[in-house]
Amino acid sequence: MTNILQALMSGLALGGIYALVALGFSITHTTTRTLNFGQGEFLVGGAFVGVAALLLLSGKGPVGVLTAADVSLWRYSGAIVASIAVLGALGALMYFIAVRPFFGMSGMAWVMSTIGFGIILQNTALAVWGAGSVAMPSPLGEGVIRIAGAGIRPQEILVLCTTAVVMLALDHILRRTRIGKAVRAVAANPAAAALMGINVGAIVVLAFVTSSGLAGLAGLLIAPITTASVFMGLAIALKAFSSAIVGGLTNPRGCIAGGFLLGVIEALVGLWRAELREITIFVLIIAVLVIKPEGLFGQKPFEKV
Amino acid sequence: MSGMASPSRSHTLWFGVAVLAAIALPWALSNEFYLKIIFTAGVYYLAAAGLNVLVGWSGQKSLGHAGLFAVGAYTAALLTANAGWNPWLALIAAAVVSAAFGVVIALPSLRVKGPSLAMVTIGFGIVVEKVVTEWAVFGGQAGIYGVMPLTVGGKSLAMREWAWLVLAFALATHLLLHTLLAGKFGRALQAVQAAEVAAESVGVNVYRMKVLAFVISAVTCGIAGALVAQQNQYINSDFISFNLSIFLLLIVLFGGPSVLGPALGAIVLTLMDAFLARWPGLQHFTYGALLLFALYAMPQGLAGALRKLGQKLWPAKLQPLPPAEGEWRPAATASPAADAPLLRATNIYKAYGGVVPTNDVSLSLRNGHVHALIGPNGAGKTTLLNILSGIVAPDRGQIEFAGADITRSGASEVCRRGMGRTFQNLKLFPHMSVLDNVLVGLHPHLRVGFWPSLVGWFSARNEERRAHEQAARLLNFVGLTERAHDAAGSLPYGLQRRLELTRALATQPRLLLLDEPAAGLNPQETEALTQLIRRIADTGITVLLIEHHMDLVMAVSDHVVVLDHGVKIAEGTPAEVQGNPLVVAAYLGVDEGDDSDDDTAHACAMQAAAC
Repeated sequence: MTNILQALMSGLALGGIYALVALGFSITHTTTRTLNFGQGEFLVGGAFVGVAALLLLSGKGPVGVLTAADVSLWRYSGAIVASIAVLGALGALMYFIAVRPFFGMSGMAWVMSTIGFGIILQNTALAVWGAGSVAMPSPLGEGVIRIAGAGIRPQEILVLCTTAVVMLALDHILRRTRIGKAVRAVAANPAAAALMGINVGAIVVLAFVTSSGLAGLAGLLIAPITTASVFMGLAIALKAFSSAIVGGLTNPRGCIAGGFLLGVIEALVGLWRAELREITIFVLIIAVLVIKPEGLFGQKPFEKV
Repeated sequence: MSGMASPSRSHTLWFGVAVLAAIALPWALSNEFYLKIIFTAGVYYLAAAGLNVLVGWSGQKSLGHAGLFAVGAYTAALLTANAGWNPWLALIAAAVVSAAFGVVIALPSLRVKGPSLAMVTIGFGIVVEKVVTEWAVFGGQAGIYGVMPLTVGGKSLAMREWAWLVLAFALATHLLLHTLLAGKFGRALQAVQAAEVAAESVGVNVYRMKVLAFVISAVTCGIAGALVAQQNQYINSDFISFNLSIFLLLIVLFGGPSVLGPALGAIVLTLMDAFLARWPGLQHFTYGALLLFALYAMPQGLAGALRKLGQKLWPAKLQPLPPAEGEWRPAATASPAADAPLLRATNIYKAYGGVVPTNDVSLSLRNGHVHALIGPNGAGKTTLLNILSGIVAPDRGQIEFAGADITRSGASEVCRRGMGRTFQNLKLFPHMSVLDNVLVGLHPHLRVGFWPSLVGWFSARNEERRAHEQAARLLNFVGLTERAHDAAGSLPYGLQRRLELTRALATQPRLLLLDEPAAGLNPQETEALTQLIRRIADTGITVLLIEHHMDLVMAVSDHVVVLDHGVKIAEGTPAEVQGNPLVVAAYLGVDEGDDSDDDTAHACAMQAAAC
């Protein structure tokens, strides 16, 4: 029982990470019908920009070993700001060189170009930080909090709280603000939005900046749980995309629900048989695609013949 | 994507050169390292050649082919190392098992498209990678030792013989795929890539074509994996990575979507790979940069760029059409007597939420007649046409066509039963030639199967020749012979409309559905179309057309059905419908104090409709 509670908690924390990245997929997909296939590498970028920022804030060089003393809560907050800012800028860069030139080209050239951008990013990180993984202490310490006998890591609580705040904020912005309305208008019909005086180009750039910023945040949040590694991106991005498919790529709230669902399923299956985690998720995706291809909370696309 | 296969004589010549090179090169080289590079290039070509059918022809993406490579490799490894199979049998088994997995990853392609499908294939690759790493059966990181190599006469192959063997496989694969893709399967796959709905409507089973493309790619990829395992006599999970999937796709995209593309891509990239192997960091940078920038510089890949250059230097001579002997006639089928009902739709109902575009419509079309379906915008005409042709399933009601119930049949089956159609917004295969568009229309009547088409058996060649003759007759009938080799998308709009009609005629329909065939045509083109529809009707084909040009409707049709807000409000001869006050009201609205002359009202109505 305590095992299950413990797994549930780490599943939710992991799910929060998936939900953040899935949200990023959803934002660019609804506004441009494209998404960043290199998102995993952006997550890696977020983790290592965070490592560098923490080291710099502790008065050390950008490459090195982090000690628990280096990671205070305010330095971690500073690192989060740095990760989001740097990755957001990279997202804009990627949009201009890897997505925009291929709009309207057949054969999804942008899939390849975003992967290419991600590979370059990954190898840059590899050249700077090397192939080994970098341990990042949690700003809340490594102690274990006991709740009903289950050991819960403080970082997991931090991840959950941060993701919850970010999601509520994004949800509020999308639904209640002028700029959110503009984003939704572009998602519904870019041409009509442009005719209403909305700067569609700016909204699209904003979508990519947000999406990449979210990936950066996710990378820094998960680093204290899994350690930062240049190779951790693909698997997380893939599961985040699976979350988006399960929840519905067109529905931001669905993506969040999908992320938590997948995180919990993964943790519970892992408790039972670790080697079945990936297969379970893949089977789940296939099942969702067969039964409800638009996702559990997605909108059915209407194709005019 | 090369619409016209290059003239076959020059292909034979180049193929001969390639065979000589394949024999001479390993013979001339004695360095094991160079021989291994040849072997590797050959293996990559094998894997990429099939993937090219999937990506370049059917337009599906896969970023998980490392998974299929693994399936082939581990099948061969387990069967020889653990079960003691003969290595050659194990190689065949690897191809078969890979094919089965190809079907599995094709399943989602029925439901999802584009980026989601790409992600699902990544997922497949990752799952296979995890499974071979973590499951004990596959040896994990340690891998499987003692994989039996292929033997000839009891002797295992030396590196030079491996190179020869793989090159022989590669050349054979090229020849088979070249033959297959020049025929009906190549055209059908391209049609699926260009416009799925249109492909369905000419009787191509889109899903079967996608599965076929996935299976072809799985088989060549699985064989490549098995060969690698057998040559190394060892396999572990390090061989299988996402990078391999990317590399295979890079070969295909860099080489370009033509039969030659993967060969060029495999040779260039393997050489580059070997050259950059000393600097692993740089190696991956280069892949990233290639993925990012090759598509800017060469959207059609290396093969496309070379072809463009070649056409500039030596303009290709196009094969002339076979002579169109005799007038085109629709295929003689045992049709019911003239005037007997050919299609009977009863109480068709379809709702999209609160909108009911088709509300209990019943319709009877008689053999050999020209029927027209008219009504104001939004009356539900196109929805009714989509329901009849199997593209949209009705919520209720029954459709009987030529004595069979087709209510639940899909579009391609309805087409095979003898119903052809055109679309309101043209759905041609724009990058294919006019001739190929018509040949795709003939697809449902080409009976030759996959295997004869693959090896270019006599039956396939004869049928292909007959198909070309038939297409030539048809192009002559509609007056498009001069444009046979032009890309369909390059025709002027009026001719594109005519080509779409021709493609529908090629399916040898008994009933032809035309959705606003005169939309966007000028008066001369409309007149020519009117003549053409008359000539088609004269051959005995039943026609149902949606049209707003009342001149055309009144000139060709002998029975008119009027829809308004999803309900049939009138039907009868053109004259009867013209005089019907309900029709007048539907087009013009009702004047409360209606005392105007009936004749002026309906004249106005028809005028309004004509606009």
